[in-house]
Formats: sequence, structure tokens, C-alpha cells
Amino acid sequence: MMVSISSYLMVALILFCVGLYGALTKRNAVIVLISIELMLNAVNINLVAFSKFGLHPGVTGQIFTLFTMTVAAAEVAVGLAILIALYRNKETVNVDEMDQMKR
Amino acid sequence: MEVKDIFSYDWTYLLPEFIILGFATVLSLLDLFAGKRLGKHAIGLLSLLGIVLAGVFVFVNIQTLDQPYSYMADMIRVDDYGNAFKLLFLGGTAFTILISLSYMQQGEVTHRSEFYYLLLSGLLGAMVMASSADLITMFVGLELLSLSSYVMVGLRKKSLQSNESAFKYVVSGGIATAVTLFGMSYVYGLTGTTNIFEISQRLAEAGMMGFQFIIYMAFAFLAVGLAFKISAAPYHMWAPDVYQGAPTPITAFLAVVSKAAGFALVFRLLLISFLQVPSAEGPFFFTQGSLFIGWMAAASMILGNVMALRQTNVKRMMAYSGIAQAGYLLVPFVPPTTLFFSEVLFYLFGYLLVSFGVFAVIMVVSREQQTEDLKGFAGLYHRSPVMAISMTIFMLSLAGIPITAGFFGKFYLFMGALAQENYWLSAIMIVTSVISYYYYFGIIRQMYMRAGENEAPLSVPKGIWVFIFILAIATVFFGAFPGLVTDYIQATFNPSFDFGNMLPTRTP
Repeated sequence: MMVSISSYLMVALILFCVGLYGALTKRNAVIVLISIELMLNAVNINLVAFSKFGLHPGVTGQIFTLFTMTVAAAEVAVGLAILIALYRNKETVNVDEMDQMKR
Repeated sequence: MEVKDIFSYDWTYLLPEFIILGFATVLSLLDLFAGKRLGKHAIGLLSLLGIVLAGVFVFVNIQTLDQPYSYMADMIRVDDYGNAFKLLFLGGTAFTILISLSYMQQGEVTHRSEFYYLLLSGLLGAMVMASSADLITMFVGLELLSLSSYVMVGLRKKSLQSNESAFKYVVSGGIATAVTLFGMSYVYGLTGTTNIFEISQRLAEAGMMGFQFIIYMAFAFLAVGLAFKISAAPYHMWAPDVYQGAPTPITAFLAVVSKAAGFALVFRLLLISFLQVPSAEGPFFFTQGSLFIGWMAAASMILGNVMALRQTNVKRMMAYSGIAQAGYLLVPFVPPTTLFFSEVLFYLFGYLLVSFGVFAVIMVVSREQQTEDLKGFAGLYHRSPVMAISMTIFMLSLAGIPITAGFFGKFYLFMGALAQENYWLSAIMIVTSVISYYYYFGIIRQMYMRAGENEAPLSVPKGIWVFIFILAIATVFFGAFPGLVTDYIQATFNPSFDFGNMLPTRTP
């Protein structure tokens, strides 16, 4: 059975929206970081789907995916390191309480 | 590609990048093995040396290279467009290091050496962003700059404000990255390539075939995601918090180098990729596309200038001012003309001088007053006339009042918009500039007309004093003779108005 490209794109779009919703509404900082990973993985699904079913299929999309995965890993590592530094100063991972500079 | 091919390139044109990469690597090793034995400023001064060396080789490239030199199918591309921006980045990072040398005395940043080599790796990311013509390298450059900035913002480890702003920066940066990449993935889907010159042709074909909707979506995603880096609306909300919490030299770095790198990327990526896309009302880029960017510019100018009015923290105020400046800088892009490259470069050059001056003064004053409040500037004129007069010059330049570099920068942008009959945007530019006078003059009022808590002379470190003084002189000098810079830009980078060889040389 052949799955059409629009199904892949729809899954990616839904995943992206779920990730965006989570990143904007969740209160736990770790969940926020995970939601960002969801958004980045939506991109990966898109790229891989396009590299097979796109207008000009080719392997570049898969190579791009490798780069996005690597960079996403680095990004979440930095994010967690900063979160740990924050946790040491103020024992919370609740983003609602990060309001030192509200004005 | 065979191995032989890689060695057949003339790698000497990439020396500036290699030097920065080499210095960043060697300095981190040096710090690891001999960190204790080195002097306090050793790593900082060595990084400064690396930047100067890289700058020399950028000049050599400008002199020797007539045609763009492309590596590995334009993965990296040495052209005048990139070189011009590289000079801005190198200058900006050198200034950052100069003020950092004094900032480090405060002892808030415990990891001094990390500070410097992260700065270098951020600079490398910016240089890659400016000189690549491929989505993958652009993205990697963007992330190298972003990841280094996240850490640098949080380097005041003991300060809760700094931690918090770094975390906010990571989260909003991560979302922006995802949005940009999502746009890129659609572009890739329609074109099957990551080279932006090929994308340009194939997007046009895809537009002809009726994929307009996906093209518009990709454009919107890219523009919104990249607005993060230049801190333009609709992705500007991170700026005030991050600017406030970051160490002051890093705030200046973000305000100038990171923003200029964002512009280099936005202009090259959006302009070339979407240049040939057709639409019902004429070329997409010159109709709906530039209208979209025009709205972004208008929203940034209005939001930035209006929100800056009610700020009491001076770094926060500068952040909103920076959002407004990003709005001004988007104006020549609506729609782009042959002059936009030199207009933008001159504006960024003026902004470079002024921003570093302002942040150096802010650093000195807020260190002495123990507060970043606007009130800290009260009575500055009586305590240190040179600082107050320099700050006045910088403020006048940001507000766009003659005779300062900022005036001519804004004047060129404004005339460009008028020549395009872009009256609504010009009107918004004028009105918001007038609004901005209120908060820029607010600082001047504090310095001259309010009494400070004491009249004791302000102690300014010698190096910073000279630095601020020279920048103030330069601001006035280039305000009086802007032709020196614009002629140089026209002659060196923009000889036939081809945006510094940015456009493809090969015929389709």
C-alpha cells in the first residue's frame, strides 16, 4: 500500500502544532524543551517525506535531517545546562515563576 | 565527490574563518592546560589578535578576489556581500572584547576564558551565515551563533536574572529555529535542493505549476522564524528580557553582531530564493512578499518605539530601541532596490559605532551606581562631562539627528523608501522617529538637568574612556563625511549594483 505525501505532511503539521502548543502553554520547563524537540522532529518528517515524494526527489533531504538532529541535540543539551544553572539559584522548573524581569 | 576535488580548491580564501576556528580551538586547549598560569587578560588579548588577523585576511580577499569563489557547490561562498558583513562582525566582536576586558574586573563572570572563545565561535557562526549560499550551511551557521549566544547570556552563573534570561533565550530561540526549519523543509520539498540559486529557479517553476500556497507558507515561516535573529516583530518579545539579563558586553554583541548576521542571512536567503517566483499581480517578491516584510517593519517600528517609552531600565530601553532599529533596517527591503545593500551597510556601520558607545557608557555608569535604572544617569554631566557629551552624541545618532552617522543612515533609508513611492512606510518611519525622541532625550534630560545623588567625579577606567571618546568622535566624523563610507562601499562591494556579487553569475 502506498501512503500519499499529504498524509506525511499532515502528520508533520499536526506534530508541529502540538509541539508549538506545548512550548507555549506548558509550565514545566523540561516539557517545554521536549515540545521544542517535537517541533524539530516534525521538520525531520517533512524532510524525509520530501526526499522520497517531493517534486524533485533526492537524498539531500535525508542529509539535512542528520544536521537538524545533531543541532537539535546540541540545543537541548545547552537548554538543560542552563536550566540546571537556574535550578541551583532558584529551586524551580516552573516557567511561571521565571518572572524576575516582568514589567 | 572525490577526495581529489576537495584539495583542488584554493582554501586560502577561507583563511579568515580558519583563523577564527583555529584561535577558538587553541585558546580552549590553552585554557584547559595552562589556564592557571596565564595572565588575567591573556585569553582576551589573544582572541583580539585572532580577530585582527582574520580582518587582515578579509581585506586581502577583498583586494584579490574579483569574482565570487565558491566551495562545494556554494556551501560556502566568498563574495563581496559576505566580506562586507564579515568586516562588520569582526569589528563588532573586537569592540565586544575591548569592553569585556574592563567588564571582567567586576568578577561577575567567573568563567573568563569560556567567555572569549564562545565569543569567537559565535563570530564564526555569524561569518558562515553571511557567506553561505546553501540552506544546510546557513542553518548550521545560524545555530552555531545561537548556541554560543545562549551560553554567553547565561555566563553570570550566580545571577538569577542572567540564568532566567538565558533560559528564555533558549526556549524562544528553539521555537524560532523550528519555525525557520519548517519553512526550509517546504522550500526543499518544492525544489529538491538546498542550493539557493537552484532553489530560485525551481521555486519559480513550482510557482508556475500551481504550488503557490505552499510557497507563501514557506515564505511566511522563514520570515517569521528569521525575525527572531534580527529581533523584529512578530518575534521580538525575547529581546528586552535577554538584553536586560545578559552581561553588558554580550548585550552589545547581540544588539550588533547577532542582528547584523541575521540581516545578512535574511537578505540573501529570502531575496535569492523567492526572487523569480511569479504570482497573479506580478513577481511575488515585489508584491505580496515585500508587503509582508513591510508589515513586519511597520510593526517593529511602532512596537519598539512605543514600548520603549515606558521603560525605566536602560538596557531594556535599548532592547526596544533595537527592535525599532530592526524595523528601520527592513524598510529598504520593501521592495529591494539596487541601492539597498549600501543603505543597509551604512546604517549597520553607524549602528555598530553608536551601540558599542552606548553600552560602554551604560556599563561604566551602572557599575558605579549599582543600578541599571535610568536614574543612574542623573547628573552625569557634572560628574564626567566627557561621558555625558559622548552619550549625548550617541543618543542623537540613534534618534537620527544631524550631524551624526545615524542621521545619514536613517536619511538614506528614508530617501530610498520615498524613491520607491513607499509613502505609508516612510510616514510610519517619520512618526515613530519623532516618538523615539522622547525616550532618547529622556536620558539626555537625566544627564544634564537632574541632580545626581552625589557630585563626585565618576571614575572611568582609562581604556574605556579612550574607547568611548574615539567612538563619539567617529560618530560625528562619519556624520559629517558620510561619503567616505558610502563611496568605499559603492566602489568596493557594489561596483555594478549587484549586491556584492550576491546574485548568481551563471546564466539560468
